[in-house]
Amino acid sequence: MFFHIVLERNMQLHPRYFGRNLRDNLVSKLMKDVEGTCSGRHGFVVAVTGIENIGKGLIRDGTGFVTFPVKYQCVVFRPFKGEILEAVVTMVNKMGFFAEAGPVQIFVSNHLIPDDMEFQSGDMPNYTTSDGSVKIQKDSEVRLKIIGTRVDATEIFCIGTIKDDFLGVINDPATV
Amino acid sequence: MIEPYNKLVKLAARAFYDDLTSKGDNQLKTGRSDNRGIAVVVLDALTRRQWVREEDLAKDLKLHTKQLRRTLRFFEEEKIITRDHRRETAKGAKIYSAAVAATADGHQAAKEGEEKVKLHTHSYCCLDYAQIYDVIRYRLHRMKHKLKDELENKNTLQEYICPNCGKRYNALDALRLVSFEDEDFHCESCDGKLEVEIDKIAAQDGGDGDDNARRRRREKLKDMLQKMEAQLKPLMDQLSRVKDLPVPEFGNLQAWEARASAAVRAAGGDINAGDSKMSQLGYNGVPLPYRGDTKVVVDFNNTEGEGEGFKSETDSTTLKVLPPWMITSGMNLTKEQRGEVKEETKLDGTSTSTATQDTDDKKSTIAHAHNKNIQDEYIKAYYAALLKQQHEMEEATKNQLSNALVAANPSSNTSNRQVGNKSKREEDDDGTEWEEAPIAGNGNEGYKVGDLNVEAEKVPADDEDDDVDWEEG
Repeated sequence: MFFHIVLERNMQLHPRYFGRNLRDNLVSKLMKDVEGTCSGRHGFVVAVTGIENIGKGLIRDGTGFVTFPVKYQCVVFRPFKGEILEAVVTMVNKMGFFAEAGPVQIFVSNHLIPDDMEFQSGDMPNYTTSDGSVKIQKDSEVRLKIIGTRVDATEIFCIGTIKDDFLGVINDPATV
Repeated sequence: MIEPYNKLVKLAARAFYDDLTSKGDNQLKTGRSDNRGIAVVVLDALTRRQWVREEDLAKDLKLHTKQLRRTLRFFEEEKIITRDHRRETAKGAKIYSAAVAATADGHQAAKEGEEKVKLHTHSYCCLDYAQIYDVIRYRLHRMKHKLKDELENKNTLQEYICPNCGKRYNALDALRLVSFEDEDFHCESCDGKLEVEIDKIAAQDGGDGDDNARRRRREKLKDMLQKMEAQLKPLMDQLSRVKDLPVPEFGNLQAWEARASAAVRAAGGDINAGDSKMSQLGYNGVPLPYRGDTKVVVDFNNTEGEGEGFKSETDSTTLKVLPPWMITSGMNLTKEQRGEVKEETKLDGTSTSTATQDTDDKKSTIAHAHNKNIQDEYIKAYYAALLKQQHEMEEATKNQLSNALVAANPSSNTSNRQVGNKSKREEDDDGTEWEEAPIAGNGNEGYKVGDLNVEAEKVPADDEDDDVDWEEG
């Protein structure tokens, strides 16, 4: 699920950036630092959308670096249990398959794949129904439901299922 | 108080540990080494004891110490018993023996081989009722949970196990386990190939998971769940019964010994006196082959001794005169039970109590002397109406039934009539009607007086018995 929230961060800026463009430099550095990171608390920071407020800088003793407390708005993505996501399959093996929904990695183990789909090994391992009409392989797009998340301080990993109504392949690259 | 817990233990033993075999896996299972059911025997034996030395228990059960110890270790792991090991001299063993003697009177025989001077490690064990209650509840919860999860395909977190080092992972670790050389998951510590742990109850039908197989499996699961509910019902009932009862606590071995020996001293140091006292209280540890219900003897009239309490147990088979409002059309009753005869004499207004009328009856007669007249009027009218109605209703059935029954029992003794009906009668009794039943039924039939006396006398004790009985279920 996506959220638009305000976060705060202490930015350290090298004295060489001081000048007319200090604010721009600060913002671009913030984006570089923050976007794409993941915190267990808020999820993945997708994009910084604006700056709320930049506080007074504080010169650090000895280094000349200046610390600015920056409040910024950003879009975060946080997967939840029970959430339905669309994801791209990145790897298939006999244990199941891995998929990515943006920054989130999702693992679907083979017993959460419908019983009528069977693993086919080969150079393009895949899961296929007995009549061959549905195939899950690398780069397939699947709709899945998250049934478990593992949230660490800097990492979120999910396990999903496609063993439910309206879940499964939504766009097969082989047929396109 | 401990009895419901003991029942719980017995039920659990039969439900969960019935087919437990404690043997080396490589052993061939011959008829001789087949020791299933030992667990049940051991647990049952423990319900009749408190702390017990394991050698004594082995001796009592005629088991080999090793075998018993293996079973006990298993139960310790299951958190069902607590054990205590200590090194002690023969003197220490005597402290225990004294404590045992205080609680169990059949253990004298076990004492003979204890004159050892050497320091020995003795193990003691005891049921841990508080924990047992939790263990059983947890176990039931897990069983139900697992079945339900699988039924709803919610058993989602696939587990993997490393066959080399036994380390376990689940699907949430998948990202760290995947290797790019091959398609398997690899153990983090030993790099062995992980295997999917199959803990599913319903057999995996290979890979042919077509719709039919799936449905079959669902049905199987549902069936299993239902069966579990049905078969474990007594256990769950017992759990809920036990829920609000205080847990019997023996404390640890030292505390228990101290308490037991204190009890001996309180009983005047006479071990035998202590014995009888304890066992009479239904204290746990009387090694009878079968222990009946806890007997609570309440002395109502100050005339009944302990013997009365026991007597009542055997006498409880006697039929009682049923108050008329409890007689329904479907019952097989004798004439006396119906209280028909008494009605007639009542209506005469000359209900003379005979000399042998029991004290209980007298007491209530005096107490109710004032109300009696008013009540009698009312009751008479009421009974008469009721009887009339029932007469009509049962005219046909009664004729043949009562005839047959009276013919079968021409003597005045009602005690062994309609044995099959007895439990039903008792069920219907609830302390309130005794006040009137003897009044109404006693003082008129001379030939029955002796019989009725016995009945009335044991009434209070019987009441208590009943209570415990039904709790026991």
